[in-house]
Amino acid sequence: MPSAVNSSPVIRLEEVSKRYGRTLALDAVSLEVGEQQIFALLGPNGAGKTTMMHILSTLLRPDSGKAFVAGIDVMRQPLQARRRLGIVFQEPSLDDRLSVHENLDLHGLIFGVPRTLRRQRIEELLALVELTDWADKTVRTLSSGMKRRLEIARALIHNSEILLLDEPTVGLDAQTRDRIWHYIRRLQAERAITVLVTTHYIEEVENCDQVCVIDNGKVLADGAPKALKRQFGQQLLRIVPKTELDHSEIVKRYAERLNQVDKTEIILASDDTFSESFLAENGARIKALSIEVPSLESVFLTLTGRDIRDAAADQREQTKTFGKIGGEHTK
Amino acid sequence: MKGSGIERSVLMVQLGGLYGLWLREVKRAFRDRGQLIGGISRPILWVVILGIGLNPYFRGEVFGKVNFVVPFTYLQFIFPAVIALNILFTSVQSAVSVIWDREFGFLREVLVSPLSRGTILLGKVLGGATVAVMHGSLVLLLAKFADVNLTWIKVLEALGLMSMLAFALTSLGVVIANHIRSFQGFGIFSNAVILPLYFTSSSVFPLDPALSQAQTRVVYPEWLVTMVEWNPLTYAIDALRGALIGFNQFDPRLGILIMGISGIVLFALALFEFRRA
Repeated sequence: MPSAVNSSPVIRLEEVSKRYGRTLALDAVSLEVGEQQIFALLGPNGAGKTTMMHILSTLLRPDSGKAFVAGIDVMRQPLQARRRLGIVFQEPSLDDRLSVHENLDLHGLIFGVPRTLRRQRIEELLALVELTDWADKTVRTLSSGMKRRLEIARALIHNSEILLLDEPTVGLDAQTRDRIWHYIRRLQAERAITVLVTTHYIEEVENCDQVCVIDNGKVLADGAPKALKRQFGQQLLRIVPKTELDHSEIVKRYAERLNQVDKTEIILASDDTFSESFLAENGARIKALSIEVPSLESVFLTLTGRDIRDAAADQREQTKTFGKIGGEHTK
Repeated sequence: MKGSGIERSVLMVQLGGLYGLWLREVKRAFRDRGQLIGGISRPILWVVILGIGLNPYFRGEVFGKVNFVVPFTYLQFIFPAVIALNILFTSVQSAVSVIWDREFGFLREVLVSPLSRGTILLGKVLGGATVAVMHGSLVLLLAKFADVNLTWIKVLEALGLMSMLAFALTSLGVVIANHIRSFQGFGIFSNAVILPLYFTSSSVFPLDPALSQAQTRVVYPEWLVTMVEWNPLTYAIDALRGALIGFNQFDPRLGILIMGISGIVLFALALFEFRRA
């Protein structure tokens, strides 16, 4: 039996830690995802996002801490947890020698969906991701965007309540990424599911209900995109005073907010209420004024730093390359 | 409807999943043209070229007396061994897909399903074994060329033995694949394991059954005799030969016993490693 079902958080992590050799992939991470939210896990490569996904999807056991999905402890009752999860991994896990329909049907069989329901859901979901015309094509012939859509459809064949998407848009062009997000939002609205999605594309996060920024295995910030901007992104007021007198007056008066100053321009640290009161009080002194709203990108960069992380190709990548060029009867 | 919809019993889910995974292996094999070509060309080479070519030399002079070593033509003699060869290659080749599934994706899709590890592995092995038996059966189509008279009973008996052999060898393939990190290692492995195993299984030459143990060791080098005697495949091929052409060097029950035991042991080992991984 599921233990202690609490109606609100659908996904919950309590002090989860995971270490690979000497690197601490997750460092006592706690997290809650509410029902029917689109929750984004944002972080640079190697931040620990995939590790978290693997723990939630029961593939990996954390060293310490607890993880729950739909109130089920993923370590104690992995089979029950898996029935409720729909998972799309970062790397495609389709059988590319089978057709689109066969892949979906196999998933249904594996998850114990009876034949008639299977047929009905396959039809429904193919229509949803607009792949109905491709049902009998071999997966090999699909573009990477189509494969991703197929994987999203597949994750829902067993009527999962929670969708885990690990970098669903990585390596796709802008149009395709946009389309994938269109499906995700539509799914959440039509099927009332909870979506946990990882990404390192900052602009995608704006569409989500909640964002959690992680790096080096630690949660750096957690909240609605707007709240994060307010908290970590500094709003700026760019002012062009009318005269030199106005210039020096403003500099003198708002010394503590001064961000940058030159002969013609003054930049002040600001927020919504300050902007209004500033305008009301100093309207007569200024020639031009603009408010610079912080982007999530600036928040993200503030939190994670600007280093680019490169990693050498690991064994898996090497093997994959070997496979791609047709080595040793692969595929 | 929320949740998992209509709940099926646990056993039904496992059986349904087993069927799904088995079907996947079989479908994949039929779509792999390279594997099919190998499955067809290999027996033709062995039976038609090697078999017909060596046929006249298949007799020996033992202690001053010229006679056929076994009362069969060479073609008849290697025919059951070629079946085993086809099964051997195909079984081991299904191990390649184990590596592929593990490294890139598909295995993960299965691992996050409600199927137990045992079901997943059994589906894989049964699927691989089925394909191997099919490839073995291709050789049966060449029976006419080899002067082997087939009856339904012979065929059924052979299919039973072939299934046991295929199950054991596919499990062996999985065990080896568990220890190989890349495809590059696989070529080395197939040369280092498949061919030596095949050549020392009294497949292409018999150890003269007319000789006693002591005489055998005089005629053949000691190490070769030992290798043949220790090779489990020797007994499997012997049992198959018994079923198809009625020639046995050993007790045919020994072959069944050895195949049965190694099938169970190898599968258990594969499962043990798979659970731990």
